[in-house]
Amino acid sequence: MPITDFLADLGLMPLRAIAFQSMLLLVAIALEAIVLRQHLRLGYQTSVQYAATINLITTSLGWIAFLSLEALLPWALRQQIISYVLFNRFDPTNPWIDALPVVIVVAAIIAFFTTYWFKLQGLSLLVRLLDRETVPRVTVSVEESPRYNSTRRPVAWSSSARKQQPETSSRGSSYTLAVLQANALSFTVIVILLLLRLNA
Amino acid sequence: MFILTFLRQTWESIKTVLLPDRYFSWLTVIYLSLFSWLMSLLGRSLGASNITVGIMTTLSWIFLAVGIGWALETNQVKLFGLSLAPWVAGAIVCIFLFGSWGDNWLQPALITWPLISFAVVAVPNLLSWELQYKKPPAPVRQQLVLLFFLSLLLSSWFQFYFRIQNWLQAYPSLVADTVEDSNFVYRIPGQTLPLSAGVTHLTEAEMIIKAELDSKPWPWIERWLLNVEGQEQAIQRQIQLNQQSSPEDDLWRFEMQPFSNGPGYTLELRAIWTGPTAEESGYYLEKSCQVMPVGQAPAYGSPTPGSVVPTQWARVTCDLEVPRVTGRP
Repeated sequence: MPITDFLADLGLMPLRAIAFQSMLLLVAIALEAIVLRQHLRLGYQTSVQYAATINLITTSLGWIAFLSLEALLPWALRQQIISYVLFNRFDPTNPWIDALPVVIVVAAIIAFFTTYWFKLQGLSLLVRLLDRETVPRVTVSVEESPRYNSTRRPVAWSSSARKQQPETSSRGSSYTLAVLQANALSFTVIVILLLLRLNA
Repeated sequence: MFILTFLRQTWESIKTVLLPDRYFSWLTVIYLSLFSWLMSLLGRSLGASNITVGIMTTLSWIFLAVGIGWALETNQVKLFGLSLAPWVAGAIVCIFLFGSWGDNWLQPALITWPLISFAVVAVPNLLSWELQYKKPPAPVRQQLVLLFFLSLLLSSWFQFYFRIQNWLQAYPSLVADTVEDSNFVYRIPGQTLPLSAGVTHLTEAEMIIKAELDSKPWPWIERWLLNVEGQEQAIQRQIQLNQQSSPEDDLWRFEMQPFSNGPGYTLELRAIWTGPTAEESGYYLEKSCQVMPVGQAPAYGSPTPGSVVPTQWARVTCDLEVPRVTGRP
């Protein structure tokens, strides 16, 4: 029977992982879109697009990081990963069992901050790529344009420049704050969902 | 007369199906692909050089990919609202690129398939007909970025699938375990489970024990059994030597326990799995062998009856089945 041969060749397929990841991605995108929309005053479609982009960036880069790191880990630790992936439990006879909580917490913290960094960079790159309301990076200062000092009223110029500066910095910090909040929210909800699944 | 008109009508209808309305259409490209394929066949039969045949085949593959992609695009064949054209065209390109790689062609082909499909979508958007870079409008740019990372994610999923297969190759006993609790993998029902390496270990141990004990004088058996632990280690070492080295071999521990059974002994051979498993308390495989004294030498010599106490010889028989027991012995 060629069909059964084919099925036997397929082995174990990560179908559940694909289903869970799609679901968690949808949850994360929805939540982060809400946060981004509130903080950055974007439209519905734009905020969903931004959230989808930054989440897909971090998810795909996370997979690449996992797949390359997993090949480099010591065999005993890889066995724990295999045990978790295939059987949803850690092997208590493995020498890594005592260090495991520490490893997981450290890995989770690293994952949180790296995804945060990548989301922030990804979002600013995306905004620049789309030519949309780019964050002005260099504010024109009085010293850089001495030519206009005589023609324009210096007091007004410098005051407007000074007015512009806090606004742009708050714009940049609103990005960092929005992405930080979005990331924290989606991570919290995903961890809660995973814990529920672990206990169920 | 009737047949003639029928033939003409059929020819007309065939012509409308087979001949494109305009020359600039997907059907032309498919014909080009067929033509270059026929030419490559012709070249091969005429003994043309490999380069010529290669160019012809390559052209035919490229035309096939472009033609089918074009056909699906113009006919708007969609699945779940997504256009199928780039994926099918990408698949054809992948089969062409990796199909000649021999046994392992599926892995690189599947891993690169989403990325190549993305390239199929992206290239017409990023390059003009003069092969110069052009900047697509902002919504298209957004779509392309999303699509790129989506295809990267799909490619990672394929890669994860192949990584799992690598694990199972290194540790074949994992396949025999249940994966019901897993959050990641799913076993398609109806698959045959492969033989655990523990079974081969026990068969190996049985052969070693039979070679050492079968048809030996009974006192030898008693002496051999005095040092069970030493024999255990010797057999374990022997098994490791005889198996092809796979990472799994280190995870099977061999143990042996003798019980007295009437005049002889029962030897319980155990292969204990020390690796990852779905069982809460682990599991082991067990094979029992009976070592029994036999009154007569099985092969040679005619013992003189009555004169001396007949020498006792050992006969080893082992059960065929290897039950799997939960827990630790």
